Amino acid sequence: MNGVRVGNRIIGADSPVTIGWENVPRVEGGPFKRLFFTWFQPAVLFSMILFWYYAPNSIAKASTAIGIGIAFRALLLALEWVNPRHKSWELTWKECVTDLFYVGLGYTILNLVDNFIGSDVLIENLLSSFDWDKFAWFTGLPLLVQAFLILFIFDFGQYWMHRGMHNWYPLWLTHSVHHYITQLNINKGAVGNPVELFLIGLGIGGLFDFLPRAALLAGAIGMSIGVYQHINVRFNTPAWWRFLFNTTEHHSLHHSLDFEATRSNYASNFIFIDRMFGTCVDGEAELLGMEGGRRMSIREQMTYPFTEGWKTMKQKFGKPDDTHAVPAE
Amino acid sequence: MTGQAPSMDGDRLPAIAPSGDARSWMRLIDWIWTVRGELPLPAGQSAAEAFARLEPFFREPGTSFDQAEGSLTFTKKDPLAQDRMSIYDAGELRVESQPGGGVLRYWMTSKSLLFCFLAPLLFVAFGQIIVGVGILAKPDTEQADKKKKDEKDKVRELHWIDQMLGAPAPEKPKKDEKEKKKEEGGKDRFSPTSAYVFAGLFALLYVIGRILEDRLIRRRFLRSLSGG
Repeated sequence: MNGVRVGNRIIGADSPVTIGWENVPRVEGGPFKRLFFTWFQPAVLFSMILFWYYAPNSIAKASTAIGIGIAFRALLLALEWVNPRHKSWELTWKECVTDLFYVGLGYTILNLVDNFIGSDVLIENLLSSFDWDKFAWFTGLPLLVQAFLILFIFDFGQYWMHRGMHNWYPLWLTHSVHHYITQLNINKGAVGNPVELFLIGLGIGGLFDFLPRAALLAGAIGMSIGVYQHINVRFNTPAWWRFLFNTTEHHSLHHSLDFEATRSNYASNFIFIDRMFGTCVDGEAELLGMEGGRRMSIREQMTYPFTEGWKTMKQKFGKPDDTHAVPAE
Repeated sequence: MTGQAPSMDGDRLPAIAPSGDARSWMRLIDWIWTVRGELPLPAGQSAAEAFARLEPFFREPGTSFDQAEGSLTFTKKDPLAQDRMSIYDAGELRVESQPGGGVLRYWMTSKSLLFCFLAPLLFVAFGQIIVGVGILAKPDTEQADKKKKDEKDKVRELHWIDQMLGAPAPEKPKKDEKEKKKEEGGKDRFSPTSAYVFAGLFALLYVIGRILEDRLIRRRFLRSLSGG
């Protein structure tokens, strides 16, 4: 396999990938189907912005956001069934159970841990210890600017954390588990070792004070962009969207079996951050995972960073293996 | 005949179906993780022919199987997501001759079904842990909330652009509402509701999976045996 040159790198030498938007297949079918899958993403994004911008205070609450989030995911699950990107990514009962287990961990135990050692709690303690105030000027900005900044600050931090995970072995150990997923579905973003799920959630947003409505807007915009990272639906995503935002195509390359392709497209929402730092590759992949596409069980997902780390430590600092000793003459 | 699909982790011993009185009590509970069934073979089909038709199911990565004397045993380790038998870890298929023709009997165990059956208990336990931690952590959170009180009293205004565009202005919370919200906020942080919702979801998924996977494998075997 020769691969394709993208900048200084050869992408697709280990496993087949599609590079360039002109080579990515389009949605096939009647005019309504094509229209729907072309405008669905922008229509949802702008509807969400309008809703959260103008919703009365009695409705603009976190509980409404949670309800909309659940309903939206249910709709996307239906779309996975109606217009799958790849047959080989079809959601099975076992995959659904595995994914939901991780979603459940996020809503329960990880959430509990976040209450004590999450970044917001740590920043709050830091500010009160040094008698500092939050950056209160933030609340004086227009709502959409506040929402964008909340998202951008988080995404920028997330970009470097994610890139760090791919470049520093101790962090990679925690993140590698997520790269064993072999297909993309709505809830696959939640799959990973809990240590990584905690690390990837860290951000410095807690330093800033913002209006609750801006936070709700940021959440809705983030959901309307980020949810498509892991999804088995083919869209005719508009060019401006693909230029600005992370898409399933980008993220499938990031999860590809091809090593060089995985070292691209790190941002969570804003792919333009990758474009800024030269790590963006436009294209898609169907064959995903690690070690030839081996599927990892939940038990191994929980222990892998520790067992692998232990093996590496033993190799590096342990006694040399006697069985390989050269006998004395 | 012994088969080995492109396995990823070497040889494994074939599975052995439970037998004998000592294990008969297991039958009372092993329906939780075991799928059993029997299918009539098409007229005139021999055991060898039947297993030849079913062989593609076992020629999958991570699957080892052993076929001899009218029976086939298999084990699976980390099967691919799209493996049509991915939920099963081990099992046995046997062809028996009966007056009306051959019958395929199968017995297969699934750790995934067992996991899904136990998951509600796990999430109920998580819920209890959250409640317990909430009780222990309450004094600290109340103190932290007091510190925030002054900050929350400030009246915030929208930017003039937002005012012009008609976005609803933030409301200053009333005194009693504020107290209520504070209480609710404290409760939310240590609320077990999500854990119980997931416990319910997994219970539902178990029922769906136990019925669906049973029917799916039956249909798939039947289709393969009849050459479909």
